Amino acid sequence: MLAYTLKRLLAGMITVWFIATATFMAMHMVPGDPLMNDKAVSAEIRKNLEVKYGLDKPVVEQYFIFMGNMLQGDFGISFTQQNRRVNDIIRDHFPVSATLGLLAIFFAATGGVIWGALTAIYRNRLPDIIIMFLVILGISVPSFVFAALGQLMLVNINSLLGFSLIPVAGWGTFSHMLMPSMVLGLGTMALLTRLMRSSMLEIVNEDYIKTAKAKGLSPMRIFFKHQLRNAILPVITILGPSIAAITTGGFVVELVFAIPGLGRYFVQAVQQLDYTVIMGTTVFFGAFLVLMVILVDIIYGFVDPRVRLQ
Amino acid sequence: MADKILEVEDLSVEFATYGGTVKAVRGVSFDVNRGETLAIVGESGCGKSVTVQAIMGIIPMPPGKITGGTAKLNGENILGLPPKEANRFRGVEIGMIFQDPMTSLNPTMTIGDQISETLMVHRGMSYTDASRRAVELLDKTKIAEAAKRAKQYPFEFSGGMLQRAMIAQSLACNPSVLMADEPTTALDVTIQAQILELMAELQRTENMSIILITHDLAVVARMADQVAVMYAGQIVESGSVDDIFYRSSHPYTLGLKEAMPTNKRDGKKTLTPILGSPPDLFHPPTGCGYFARCPYAMAVCEHHQPEEHHLTDSDAEHQARCWLQHEGAPHIKALNQPGADQRD
Repeated sequence: MLAYTLKRLLAGMITVWFIATATFMAMHMVPGDPLMNDKAVSAEIRKNLEVKYGLDKPVVEQYFIFMGNMLQGDFGISFTQQNRRVNDIIRDHFPVSATLGLLAIFFAATGGVIWGALTAIYRNRLPDIIIMFLVILGISVPSFVFAALGQLMLVNINSLLGFSLIPVAGWGTFSHMLMPSMVLGLGTMALLTRLMRSSMLEIVNEDYIKTAKAKGLSPMRIFFKHQLRNAILPVITILGPSIAAITTGGFVVELVFAIPGLGRYFVQAVQQLDYTVIMGTTVFFGAFLVLMVILVDIIYGFVDPRVRLQ
Repeated sequence: MADKILEVEDLSVEFATYGGTVKAVRGVSFDVNRGETLAIVGESGCGKSVTVQAIMGIIPMPPGKITGGTAKLNGENILGLPPKEANRFRGVEIGMIFQDPMTSLNPTMTIGDQISETLMVHRGMSYTDASRRAVELLDKTKIAEAAKRAKQYPFEFSGGMLQRAMIAQSLACNPSVLMADEPTTALDVTIQAQILELMAELQRTENMSIILITHDLAVVARMADQVAVMYAGQIVESGSVDDIFYRSSHPYTLGLKEAMPTNKRDGKKTLTPILGSPPDLFHPPTGCGYFARCPYAMAVCEHHQPEEHHLTDSDAEHQARCWLQHEGAPHIKALNQPGADQRD
């Protein structure tokens, strides 16, 4: 188990190194550089800035300097935000994105399991048909539409009540987090519901369910002790990549709900070719996701005894 | 008169499918005597498994539907009970084991927990007591290092071991009947022999009845007291194991015997398969189901359902559903036709 975890962590580190290298190369292949902007700078100032940021050196050397700093946990200083260290940007804004993302995953996973199980119980009957219709909606409608609709709903509720029950936008308290995390988790919830449904229906026909019936167990017990746990396995498998999709895809939702998450900096940096912020946020997100996938795999080992030994 | 523990009367089961209604079991009746083994023999798809699963109430409904009949366990009808009432006898009075032990146990629960679950549900035992009893049961089914094995998961067991664990599980509440649905089909031959040996031994020590479903006549000869031969959803011949093997009275039973390999080395015996295939149970024939394949078929067989003929060749009840047992039928040399000598 320990050897397995260490092996996965080592492989994860190599993955992060690949992410860093590929991002670095892609970034430098994009025409232009962070010093090019609307305000024309004189050649002299430009030269000074290049020296200050180390852009005068060959790309290969820049790469090694960057990697060296990264290994020491230093992503450098932002090009566009005066004297702001990338580490500080991540420290200030990542917890917000992570809270939002994990809450969204929580909604998606619990919702997916519950709805999926319900559709399987009511297979081809009205509840199943209604939920599956909503699932298709959840998969095909983009999150900014749901975000806007969610805000509209909150506005209506609040104006009906005459006071602000749940804030429409912003960040700070738990009630701020509710709507954006639900909106963010909706697409994944829909996917997980479908997965859970098919996996439940598969398991109903398994021999061991027949055995459980022949043992004289109550339908409730069969459902919870024999069906659910086995049906959840594929859902857990897909949870790792889902965390990836949600934490990086949170940008739009963060924007609509005016949430000071990392997503905004992530996108802005690419638009402005802010080299250090691009590298910092990408590598950090990458490492976070790799870690989440490993974590999910380890959790999987606890739920399914068959994978424990490998 | 033997003590009857289970009496099945005129059981019929249908399945509604997209292609129409399959009449899988068509009026099956049989009795199981206390402490004896009834073997139900027949080829794939003849309704053997459906019969016992219908009695247990574990066929999926829908599409399945029990359209008639009764099954009396100790005189009380248990057929078609709702789950809550059925659970008073399922796992308690009747234990069941299945064909494929590899898939018949929950992969994410330890063997011990799966056995103790039955005890906790039916006997109200505490987890500790039930776990201890589970180890004893595993020990009884001759699983070495039972205490350690009880903590393992099904994937850590071999097929034969899993079937032993299944047997241990089904015996948890000391049932009076064990239903074994092709318990050795998925196992290799040496393991088969061990499992059958174990079942026979437990039958003696626990004084339980066994309903053994199989398509292997060798298994029948070894295990059975009574035999019911099923074909196309009906029992075509039933009687004691000697009646079936030495006084076969239905052409289908003869056909099965012809198709059975032996280990005699004289080379005289050639295997004769039964030609053709069983009738379409979407539209069961009006006459005898075996008509199209029967070497002795007569004109009457095509459209007239043969009645059950009680044969008087032995003390035990021996019945055959065949027109050749009718007093007007011609004499067939290979077939046991008590009273036919007088007819000629």
